[in-house]
Amino acid sequence: MIRAMIRRISILAGYYAKGVFFSLTGLILLIFSLVYWSVFFPPGQGTPDVENYIVLIGAWGAAATFLATLALSGRASRLENYPLITRLPSRVEYLVAVLLGSLILGAFMQLLVAGLALIRGPEITSVQLLAIPPVWLSINLLAAVLACHASDLVTAGWSRVILFGFIAIALVFNSAASGPDSWFSDRFTDLAQLFARLNLMWFSDLSVSMASWAARSPLAPVAQAVSMIFWPFNAISDAIFSGRFTPSQALAPAILVLYGTILFLIAATLFAGKDLEFLE
Amino acid sequence: MIEFKEVTKNYYSLTALDNITMTLPQGEVIGLLGPNGAGKTTLIKLIAGIISPTKGELRVHEGNGRWPSIGYKPERLVFPGNLMTSQYLEMVAGLCNIDRAEIDNVVLESLAQVNLLAAAGKQIKTLSKGMRQRLGLAQSLIGNPDLILLDEPSSGLDPEGQEEMQVYIEELRAGGKTVVLSSHQLHEVTRVCTYLIILKSGKVHYQNPMAEALTLRPHVAIQVDRPPNPSQELLTMIHRNILIEGNEVILRDEAIAMRRQVLSVLINQGYDIARIEQRRTTLAEIYAEVMQ
Repeated sequence: MIRAMIRRISILAGYYAKGVFFSLTGLILLIFSLVYWSVFFPPGQGTPDVENYIVLIGAWGAAATFLATLALSGRASRLENYPLITRLPSRVEYLVAVLLGSLILGAFMQLLVAGLALIRGPEITSVQLLAIPPVWLSINLLAAVLACHASDLVTAGWSRVILFGFIAIALVFNSAASGPDSWFSDRFTDLAQLFARLNLMWFSDLSVSMASWAARSPLAPVAQAVSMIFWPFNAISDAIFSGRFTPSQALAPAILVLYGTILFLIAATLFAGKDLEFLE
Repeated sequence: MIEFKEVTKNYYSLTALDNITMTLPQGEVIGLLGPNGAGKTTLIKLIAGIISPTKGELRVHEGNGRWPSIGYKPERLVFPGNLMTSQYLEMVAGLCNIDRAEIDNVVLESLAQVNLLAAAGKQIKTLSKGMRQRLGLAQSLIGNPDLILLDEPSSGLDPEGQEEMQVYIEELRAGGKTVVLSSHQLHEVTRVCTYLIILKSGKVHYQNPMAEALTLRPHVAIQVDRPPNPSQELLTMIHRNILIEGNEVILRDEAIAMRRQVLSVLINQGYDIARIEQRRTTLAEIYAEVMQ
């Protein structure tokens, strides 16, 4: 039964990945990969640092996977797919196929740049080589699931706005956590000055009130707490630049996979319950 | 078995299906009739699991409670045009868990079943509309599904194509398949369906086995030499069970007993009686009555 499920998922993943790869979108992704390589790893530049190699190609992998997922989910939302999806015992298989196809395509683009960047590139030790797959894969997985939430295939109602709104707020708190305690108050003061320059006095007064409220409120501890969400990214980055993973840092990729799993469960729940209105 | 319990489907403020409770039998070719916007496609999409009820419960299962495999031919047929016919069917066969070793045979069989063998190696985008309709049917038959949903399968086909499509559906009926067929073609539904549902404004207005529906109300048709122009006397006699259609005066139910009276009125008015025929109710009559 599981073998049959894996086979159905592989067939669909291969079909969508192949379809996107041999389309204009695939060509554009390929061009982006080559442009990225030529900008960040120009052969004439000499040997890049191993740390930069891992971080920059990891970032490209996430970006390529995000774009590939958007492309694949667009393809999977076409009218021609109704007869295919009705053949599956569960809609979750369909979503897994889209994710798998995106991960394959994203990984292909990433490995292409990774391979090209080795031309006159860094010498990677076996320890560093072992650290690369969990880091790249966990970030790619998270990017793929986030792209699913951004796509029309999965989004239902306000789900996209809520998720990305939450991420945006968390990013603001993350910035605040790395700044002084008066970070929020300073930002509201900046806003008040901007509104005053634009002669929007009502908004300016409101911002001044908000600045004063932020100065009195204990937002810094909240910002510190929220910024914990981003700990795995900081831990991975610190570990890469220090050249070794501490035991707690080694958990960071696993936590990213956990994030991906939670977000995937939300995506699967949304997708399983929504009306599929595929378009031509 | 397909069970609807107080199923309502809304699209924003539009009610596509309104509080439907019914059980569709297994092993029947179920014809869905109704005007555009009656809810036929919505009903089929609900059964296919593409959309969910806004209210109520829908259960689609086999006798043993297992969710059945479903073959679905949508109303608007779109295929990945760059694939070859056989490649597309191979993919569908793979999704139906057909063994790799058997896929080629299954694909060839399904192509042969809809007379499309010659197009096996052709790209789908090069196929004619009729061939695409047949491909739509072929993909819905692959894997021998328990339930086949056909949304307007003859739409846009020429008379020859329609005839072929009806023959294919008759073969499914002979094989004991459960088929839900949405159609605007009354002759097609009369010919191939064994169970009839008529929808209007999202509600089920008629539901009966076809044989029962067609024998339920026998009638007498009096054919005359020209379209009858009913006199006042005839008009006063005419009530809801006497209809005039073309050159015919149709008598139904209790009006059948009035045939001598009607005949004498027609003869007195100078009409030549060409034929008197005892007939079964036609689907057109049932449909017209439901739509009134």
